[in-house]
Amino acid sequence: MKRILIVDDAATVRLYHRNIIESAGFVADEAINGIEALEKALSMPFDLFLVDINMPKLDGYGFIKELRSQDIAQAPAMIVSTEAKESDRDKAYMAGANLYIIKPTKPQELLTYIGLLLGEEAA
Amino acid sequence: MMSIVKKRTIENAQNNDTKQIHRALPELIDAMESCDVNVRRLAARELAFYPEAAQTLVSCLKRECDSSVREVILTSLTRCDSPEFVEELADCLRSEDASLRNEVIEAMKAITVEVVPVMEQLLVDPDPDVRILAVNILESLRHPKVEQWLINIIERDSHVNVCAAAVDLLCELATEKSRPALEVFITRFSDEPYIRFAAELALYRIKANRIT
Repeated sequence: MKRILIVDDAATVRLYHRNIIESAGFVADEAINGIEALEKALSMPFDLFLVDINMPKLDGYGFIKELRSQDIAQAPAMIVSTEAKESDRDKAYMAGANLYIIKPTKPQELLTYIGLLLGEEAA
Repeated sequence: MMSIVKKRTIENAQNNDTKQIHRALPELIDAMESCDVNVRRLAARELAFYPEAAQTLVSCLKRECDSSVREVILTSLTRCDSPEFVEELADCLRSEDASLRNEVIEAMKAITVEVVPVMEQLLVDPDPDVRILAVNILESLRHPKVEQWLINIIERDSHVNVCAAAVDLLCELATEKSRPALEVFITRFSDEPYIRFAAELALYRIKANRIT
């Protein structure tokens, strides 16, 4: 089963995304900021990262940048953020993100994007 | 100047701080312009002893590229503990730099001076991104007005993500007082599954707390 790491400092958002991901048959894990996410990515493989931008300690851009530059993981990373500015999107793609979507997410929309990034049919 | 410096040193010693001040304020402000990161970092640390330098520190923060210097500036600002700088610091929430925004949020959570007037302004700021970040600061503010501020947001704010941030926090701290607003809130954003999920979670927790 595909493993997805949800990186968000908001507990309610993590729970919401976890419910959607698990209901579609994926395995979900959580991290509350970029540092914890890096530690998890170092300790086990993930097939996809679902990443918020504004987080304490290490933000979403920093996390993805580290992930790519340190060659920790090349799995796709989807930014899920409230930040809707063009400059935020640009920064995310520069850091190595594969997709940028704006919160709040709808379950089917999220699963469609996950399916696209995993190269699968949406669940 | 020497007497002022000595006085400050004594005051700081009384605050159980072993750091000695060796340099006067103008010298430290000059040092903040240095190209050398270590010089700027040291100056930022010493500027903590000059509350009147808070505005200078905020100005430096806005243009500082080195994260270690920024960290020291923010620590110094929180130690200055002067209300004058809070508004200036809050202005950094408008920065394009996500790291700076997050660092400022953490610093504002640590501030012990009266932040209520600034928070009340930030929560109705015209920029929804600023309002979202302001809600994030409320998370650890531990102020008696926090729940009412969040209720006001879910009742009045038209931006879905500001409301989402508010309801996230209400999931953690809502009491019976929030229940009527949450019930109405679900219907206001009935086409947003996340809002429904978060509001129902908050209502569930209110009920659970009432039972236990």
